[in-house]
Order: sequence, then C-alpha cells, then structure tokens
Amino acid sequence: MVAQRNPLYGAISLIGVFISLACLYVTLAAPFIAAVQVIVYAGAIMVLVVFVIMLLNVEEEERQPMRLRSLVPIALGLAAILFAESIFIIFFVQSSPSTPTRNVSDIGLTSSIGAGLFTRYLLPFEITSLLLLMAIVGAMTLARRGGLLPSGAGIVPGDQVFSKELLERRDIGDVSVVSTHSTEEAARLLGLRKDRQASDNGK
Amino acid sequence: MTPQLSWYLALSAMLFTIGVLGVLIKRNVISMFMCIELMLNSVNLTFVAFSSFFRDVSGQLFVFIVMTVAAAEAAVGLGIIIAIFRNRESLDVDDASSLRL
Repeated sequence: MVAQRNPLYGAISLIGVFISLACLYVTLAAPFIAAVQVIVYAGAIMVLVVFVIMLLNVEEEERQPMRLRSLVPIALGLAAILFAESIFIIFFVQSSPSTPTRNVSDIGLTSSIGAGLFTRYLLPFEITSLLLLMAIVGAMTLARRGGLLPSGAGIVPGDQVFSKELLERRDIGDVSVVSTHSTEEAARLLGLRKDRQASDNGK
Repeated sequence: MTPQLSWYLALSAMLFTIGVLGVLIKRNVISMFMCIELMLNSVNLTFVAFSSFFRDVSGQLFVFIVMTVAAAEAAVGLGIIIAIFRNRESLDVDDASSLRL
C-alpha cells in the first residue's frame, strides 16, 4: 500500500488490508469487531477517502530527489532489527498464552460487548458521543467557508457564484455569471483580494 | 501449530512500522492520511489479540472506541484536506508548510 504512487491504488490496497484484518478478527473469535471493521472501515471511511480522491482529481506523485539520504543506513539497520525481532517472536517465544478462545465464544459476541459498553464503560461511551458531535460541528465549520472572505463578498465556491444582486438579475442590467472551482479564482475574477495577490507575487 | 499471541503482536508491529514509514516518506496528504488509518488498525489488532487471548471483553470495547475516533478523524481530516486543496491547488504537504492561508 505504501509502495503505490497513485493514491487510488493505495486506497484499494488499504481496503484489502482492512478486509484481511477482519478475517484475522474472525479467527480471534471477535465476530462483532470483524463486522464493524468491514462496515465502518472498509465501507464508510474508505468510501469517504476514495470519494475525496475522485473529487480532488489527484495525480500520481512524481518521483522526487530523496532527502535525508544519510539516514538510509540507519533505516536499513532498524528494519533488520525489527525483522529479527519478529522472527524471534514467531519461532522462539513460547511462553505466551497459546489457545485463543475458540471454545469460550461469549467474549466477542454482540451481547457481551453491549453489556460491557453500557455498564462498565458507560463514561467512555458518552465521551465518544461528545467527540462525534464535535466532529460534526468541525466538519460543518470547515465545509461552509464564508468567514475567509470579506463579509460583503457572498462567494460560494463551486459551480456558481452568486450574491444577492447576482441572483436577481433583472434588477441589474449586464451581469454575467462566472463559474469557478476555487475561492481564490472566484475572488480574483470578482476583483477582490487584489492586494493579497500582489503581496504574494511580491514575495 | 496453533496461532500464538506473539504472532499477532509481530504482525501488528509490522503494520504499525509500515504506517509510520508511509507517513514519513509520502508527500501526498491523502496517502499520509491512509497510513495513519493503517497505524490505527494495527493497534486495533493488538487490542483484539489481547482481548481474545486473555478472555477479557475490554479490549474489544477499546477497539470500538478507536473506530469511532477514526471515523471522526476521517470526517474532520478530509474536510481539512479539501480546504487546503481549495486554497493552494495542491495536495503536496511541502506546499502547505505555512499555517497562513
């Protein structure tokens, strides 16, 4: 997934990783978590990511000269250490508890998770709901972008630019509707933010 | 050979390392975002493995909460990504190195 240069291929590989993790959860006797993994991660979150990739028309990353070339030997050494540790763990460590709970199957079921969630972990559950509310408010604040422009501008980025005068076109004579894809472009077309452009160019 | 707990932990460590590597070497914001998701999932795998091997349901509840946090992070993070793209016409993190819009 990291090796892909196109973010869309990376996203599809990440969906594969999520589904594989769901299979691992099933083998670990956690069917509810596996279902939630497929539904929430591979379904909702990755659909959102792929949607944003499609929306922004992301191009492939071009190959750039690598910075921090002096750190490459250190990175290779650390990777070798990690690999050796994994080999050691897999083949030589035997003292961990060895049997997963295949016979005791009431751990990962929905009922036990719900019972734990609403009795012992009620406070984290409520805090989670608060966090979701904050996420909703934050996403809405990011989505409506009136505050970044001057108050009289009335520019909505997207297909159309309208202010109150532009909407009632019969009141004004010759008004042409401009169509832009970004706030910057719209502001430039309408003659706003001239000073900012000049200062940016001057730098 | 039945699966050991340490196998899952080793897999989780590898996944986390791959995620960290991706965050460090990627320049695209969306790719870095997906690598963060990968790191969250590796931690989830650790939680579920411990929960299953020690027969305690708490780990799976933590996984549930981590998934909620990841969903909130996805919503807000993708909103920020779209806002940055609208302002800078680029998804490269090096172009967004200053906080000024």
